[in-house]
Amino acid sequence: MIEFIGSVFILTGTIFLFSAGLGVLRMPDAYTRIQAGTKASTLGNTLVLIGLAFYHPGWTFKLVLVIYFVLMSNPISSHALSRAAYRIRIPMTSSTVVDAITEEEPEQEP
Amino acid sequence: MMRRVFILLVVFLFGLVFLNVAVGYEELQSLRPLARHYVAQGPVELGVPNIVTAILITYRGFDTLGEVAVLFMVAASVGLLLKKNEGDRNTAEKPISERKAGEIVITGAAVLMPFIFTFGAYVIVNGHLSAGGGFQGGAIVASGVMLLLLARPESELNISMLSIIESLAGAFYILIGVSGIILAGGFLDGRFLPLGEFGAFISAGAVPLISALIGIKVGAELSVILSSFKS
Repeated sequence: MIEFIGSVFILTGTIFLFSAGLGVLRMPDAYTRIQAGTKASTLGNTLVLIGLAFYHPGWTFKLVLVIYFVLMSNPISSHALSRAAYRIRIPMTSSTVVDAITEEEPEQEP
Repeated sequence: MMRRVFILLVVFLFGLVFLNVAVGYEELQSLRPLARHYVAQGPVELGVPNIVTAILITYRGFDTLGEVAVLFMVAASVGLLLKKNEGDRNTAEKPISERKAGEIVITGAAVLMPFIFTFGAYVIVNGHLSAGGGFQGGAIVASGVMLLLLARPESELNISMLSIIESLAGAFYILIGVSGIILAGGFLDGRFLPLGEFGAFISAGAVPLISALIGIKVGAELSVILSSFKS
């Protein structure tokens, strides 16, 4: 029963990871790709690791540490990447409606 | 059209090559004689549960010394090639990387850095017990240094200090190797220290010591390489 719950977690996680890959392939520009990849892969990784914790209860502490690392590093690195992309003026897709950086920090306009 | 046909042809040929490899694969039913010796004698002779580390550090320790030396040469030549001329430094414009990193990146780096360094140290000192060892742990430590350089581009590494640490680690590595000749069976034979209890943290003779020295050396060398790419 416990292993079944773990399998459900892992399956849900892989679905999210798959959608992350799909998003990276199908999204129109760099920013939306980073966004899709980050959010879905962070959640997918976390769910897979939680599922593993059901399979191997002895690993729980280490898995919590790994989840913490993923939750910290993945969004921060994507943040830095997309920020850098904005700074060197990678074009946005034509359907973009709002540009929060220019609205909030007009003096930082490159 | 021609291009597509050509690409398809190349893909097909690659597929053929890999198909041959996949079909021709036969799983080894038993270990080869040398591997059997390592697997059977490694834990008994050296008291190292991790056979890969036993091979890397003791049986093939001389090879590892060569690899570390190659890394040292890479560090030296990268430093030489990327060295800035004194004249350029004054005239050059401020590059983009001089811009300060964002608050999120700086805070995140501060939170993650101790984590990464601790993990690197863990991998280094547990090299004789679990997967990992000096090389891998040293690379993890260097990735922490890279995070530091990315989040705080203005910070300066103390290159001369790193070079001294790295040279000392190398010298002690040789020293342990030579004491292996004098006190035990041969170069880098770690049995001149007590083997201790099998699987304990302090065990396996000089193997953890050598692993730690390799870790320090690799970490320092990679950090020097990274910092010379920065300038």
